[in-house]
Amino acid sequence: MTEARAPAEQRGTSSGDAFRRFMVRPEAPALVFLAVLVVAFSLSSDKFLSGSNFESIGISVAVLGIIALAVNQVILCGEIDISTGSMMGLCAVAAGAVALSTGGLILPLLAGVAVGALCGAINGVLVTAGRIPSIIVTLGMLYALRGVILLVTGGTWITGVPEEARVLGTGTVLGVGFPVIILFALFLVMELVSRHSTWGRNVFAVGGNRRAARLAGLPIDRTRFLAFVLVGVFVGIASIIYLGRAGSVQTNTGTGLELQVVAAVVIGGTSISGGRGSSLAALTGAVLIGVILNGLILLGVPGIWQQAVLGALILLAVATDVLRRRFVGDKT
Amino acid sequence: MSLSDDPGAGGAATVAEAPAIFHLRNVTKHFGGVTAVEDVEFDLRPGEVHALVGENGAGKSTLMKMVHGLYPPDEGTLEVGGEAVEFSSPRDAEVAGIAMIPQELDLFPELSVTENLFVGRHRPRTRWGTLDRTAMRSEARERLRSLGVDLDVTSTVKRLSAANQQIVAIARALVGEAKAVVMDEPTASLTEREVQQLFRIISELTSSGVGVVYISHRLDEIFAISDRITVLRDGHHITTALAEELDAEELVRLMVGRPLNELFTRSPHSSGEVALEVRGLSRAGEFEDVDLAVRRGEIVGLSGLVGAGRSEVAQCIFGIHPPEDGEIRVDGEDVRIHSPQAAMERGIFYVPEERRSQGLILPFSIKNNITLSILDRISRFGFVPRAERQTADRFAKDLSIRGAKVSEPVSRLSGGNQQKVVLAKSLAREPSILLLDEPTRGIDVGAKSEIYRLIDDLAKEGKAILLISSELEEVLSMSDRIVVMREGRVTGEFKRGEATQENVMTAATGGRDSSGSDNSREGVGDD
Amino acid sequence: MSAAAAALRRLTFSREVVLLGVLIVLMIVMSLLSPLFFTVGNLLNTSRFFVEVGLMALGMTLIIITGGIDLSVGSNLGLSSVALGFSFAAGLPLPLAIVFGLVVGTTAGLFNGLFITLLNLHPLVVTLGTFALFQGLAYGSTGAEAVSDFPDWFAYFGQAYLLNVVPGQLFIFVVAVAVVWAILSRTRFGRYVYAIGNNEEAARFSGVPIRKVKIAIYSGIGLLVGMAAVIYTSRVYTARGDTGLGLELDVISAVVLGGASIYGGSGTIAGTVLGVLIIATLRNGLTLAGVPSTWQLFVLGVLLLVAVFLNEFFRRREE
Repeated sequence: MTEARAPAEQRGTSSGDAFRRFMVRPEAPALVFLAVLVVAFSLSSDKFLSGSNFESIGISVAVLGIIALAVNQVILCGEIDISTGSMMGLCAVAAGAVALSTGGLILPLLAGVAVGALCGAINGVLVTAGRIPSIIVTLGMLYALRGVILLVTGGTWITGVPEEARVLGTGTVLGVGFPVIILFALFLVMELVSRHSTWGRNVFAVGGNRRAARLAGLPIDRTRFLAFVLVGVFVGIASIIYLGRAGSVQTNTGTGLELQVVAAVVIGGTSISGGRGSSLAALTGAVLIGVILNGLILLGVPGIWQQAVLGALILLAVATDVLRRRFVGDKT
Repeated sequence: MSLSDDPGAGGAATVAEAPAIFHLRNVTKHFGGVTAVEDVEFDLRPGEVHALVGENGAGKSTLMKMVHGLYPPDEGTLEVGGEAVEFSSPRDAEVAGIAMIPQELDLFPELSVTENLFVGRHRPRTRWGTLDRTAMRSEARERLRSLGVDLDVTSTVKRLSAANQQIVAIARALVGEAKAVVMDEPTASLTEREVQQLFRIISELTSSGVGVVYISHRLDEIFAISDRITVLRDGHHITTALAEELDAEELVRLMVGRPLNELFTRSPHSSGEVALEVRGLSRAGEFEDVDLAVRRGEIVGLSGLVGAGRSEVAQCIFGIHPPEDGEIRVDGEDVRIHSPQAAMERGIFYVPEERRSQGLILPFSIKNNITLSILDRISRFGFVPRAERQTADRFAKDLSIRGAKVSEPVSRLSGGNQQKVVLAKSLAREPSILLLDEPTRGIDVGAKSEIYRLIDDLAKEGKAILLISSELEEVLSMSDRIVVMREGRVTGEFKRGEATQENVMTAATGGRDSSGSDNSREGVGDD
Repeated sequence: MSAAAAALRRLTFSREVVLLGVLIVLMIVMSLLSPLFFTVGNLLNTSRFFVEVGLMALGMTLIIITGGIDLSVGSNLGLSSVALGFSFAAGLPLPLAIVFGLVVGTTAGLFNGLFITLLNLHPLVVTLGTFALFQGLAYGSTGAEAVSDFPDWFAYFGQAYLLNVVPGQLFIFVVAVAVVWAILSRTRFGRYVYAIGNNEEAARFSGVPIRKVKIAIYSGIGLLVGMAAVIYTSRVYTARGDTGLGLELDVISAVVLGGASIYGGSGTIAGTVLGVLIIATLRNGLTLAGVPSTWQLFVLGVLLLVAVFLNEFFRRREE
């Protein structure tokens, strides 16, 4: 039997090769940047490196991270979703309303998830059957859903959500807050689904080379539809956590969240053109944003600069992705 | 030049009587007014390597696209395993066991080898219903080993060499339980050693009963690997014979063998000074060390097969992509051309190969297409004058563009007239150097001769013309000199009168070269 | 069918005629919703609002024709507005502050253009980033403060009346419409824009200076945004950091409603103007009827979806 030796670069026997293999991963720049930032912030503020600070970062990141994990899938299959901010507001309203009327935890959770799934399904249908570009669909939905929130609440806030419904936001297990636990649990679930399910692999194929995916007979519409529904489900879960922490829902809850979510996914290393990235990238991006915002606060930078920082980070992330690819010589 | 001592053929004797994997009977296919394939017969037997040869436009890819389910034949039938079938998509063909490996490979660069093998196919599952990745990986390794190959199945496909990517594509066909594998120009980017490896893989395939259709222009490879050879010419089936019954010279004659009619008689002319000169021009992966010169009043034909790099050279001269090495001289002066506008400033214009996607803006009117290249010259203070219409009318008349008024969308015109619009656009710019890329492709005979006359007139006016064409007769009739390229390099140069169909084709395919030069097998894209 | 009948048919079903019909129906509906609607005073005052959206929509038309998009226009409006207001408050004479506002708007657009063309990035992502960046810069540098003590004459841009009846900015808008229309349909630049939107590759092979055109249209919309910012700031007489949020929806909707394909290649100024009128009428009518702005955004969102869907549906039917 003859053998074709794979080129040496793939055999990774030496530690230099392992390093190269790491640097080539999509999340690598974000992880490195995160490490650098953690060091930098620890050095410039002694309040940074404390358990309670990390805890607060974790909690603020949880909502963002959970939604980012799902939007990551949408971006991976070559689409985009910027309706998540209004979606979350609406899910929180639904969950809050159910919590106020029937109490408990399960029912509000189910209400939030159901509303989210419905919104996601509408997005999915408009993109696949309606053949409308996802940017337009989700832009329209961003505003439409905000109007629905107003319609449903009549402009009044939802307040006084009972304690039992707030457990997932405020409760802890072994000292670790539920939000963080749920975030990591969902991260593991997404990693599993992404690597081990047919749908998970199809997402990469559909986003990576849609033409070849079509020729291979992949269910492109179904794959994309499910990705949008997944976003809705995860937004529903995130809304219960938000409800737990805030205890109330305003008509402008969630405003601006959609941008942070896309920023997290893109900054973490998932390519905006699809086909390349991972759940770890979404998680890293969310954590990175949380660390940056936290660090800025600790350093005394006024919170009003947050948007600017976010925008600059998005631009930086896409620019470095392009430059990195040119440097590496990728023709994709 | 002998290739190897192990031809890898599956054994012609066992092949002879086995029933066919698929059989195309008397198939005909038209596209618009053009007949791509007429009354062609082709079959593939288990365990054989059947080579399909012919010039560009002979109908090879049309034939195989029908087998692969992209479109059905207009007449005739396709039988698979003895039964007539109708495929409505490539997926149907794959399910029926016919796999195609196109030149572009259709893989997913960001996914691993294992995943590429299983995309769209049934994947092994664990008890829990999730994908059994361990099983997938070991099956992937098995498949590769059955081809005699050992690759890291977790590596990302985009990081593999071209040869290994091709192996992955072949393995993918096997995972789909293919009985027939069609390979289109498989050795285009392979080194000599990799070609040997491919041949070993092909022999592994055939020894397990899989049939291989081998489409290629490389005659030495064809003789090394095939059991049978089918020759197509102008959409017709010329012959199907055992490989051992033919030799290279005869094969070339069968491929091109029309009596050489002069399609067109060139006017007597004299050539002036060198208008365009190119030395050592190189672009990694496209062409290397190309030298060319075109004089005023001269037509230089640039011949070669698809993929030889000719369009890339012309586009480089036109400023679409800068060269990585080498020089370009216009009228003796060294120039750096970094954009099409810069090329146009220097009097160069390129007429692209793909009329509909590169040459024309289909929703635009004829007039707007023609004037697009000269808007900067005819507009005053940025405004486009009404006189624009007269300019367009003039060109339409000069070039006999028929079929619609200049205000109508160019999509209404026939192919021949559309091509004239593209030419009009380039002539509007009054270039002194014209790079014409397949100017008569897909055009009826009448329009062709009009265009030949036009090109001849342009040469008479003193323009320097580079005529890229894959049609041998055209090149031989029109050119004062012929330069032949193969795989990115110049492999032959002939003066009018010296050139024959055979020696041009030989230089283009790398068969035995009368000059005895070393036809290096190194592909241009190796690292 | 005879030539005259064919021409009539084209006229009856042309997009612009349909839009005009929609506009008329809409105005009737709105006047039924509120008796205040159909007064000369109200109609002319509506025009004050739609001039700002309209100016930006003119620029957005060219961008969408080339197949691009600009999500940062609303944030750019805020940025230009504070550039104007706060430089004035810092001591710059108002005329120079106005120029500064225009410069900032144009520069922001130029930034978009350079980022998109030099790095070959998709306009969607770049303008998503600048959407946040511009808004952040506007808000961050001014905080919750606002500038309001402009001299009286500043109100001229936004609140004046010409001939005692016609709002001043309408005049500016009409001029802008004429200029942009002329550019798009009569100059070679406009031809280039359509060429790029229909077949960028063929445009490249024809020598169209693609990069320059793209940089110009993004800078151009920046200038129009700056102009809108001056008018807006003059109209509300305040410069604040959170101005202009959400306006990109109105702008994009107007262009799409006007018939431009979101994929590029088609679109007209006439259509865009009608789209702007429809949206302004909608907003004005709903406001008069007491409908809160969030609800209006809902309607707008749904309208956008419906408009794009219908656009593409009819386009595909034609093929």
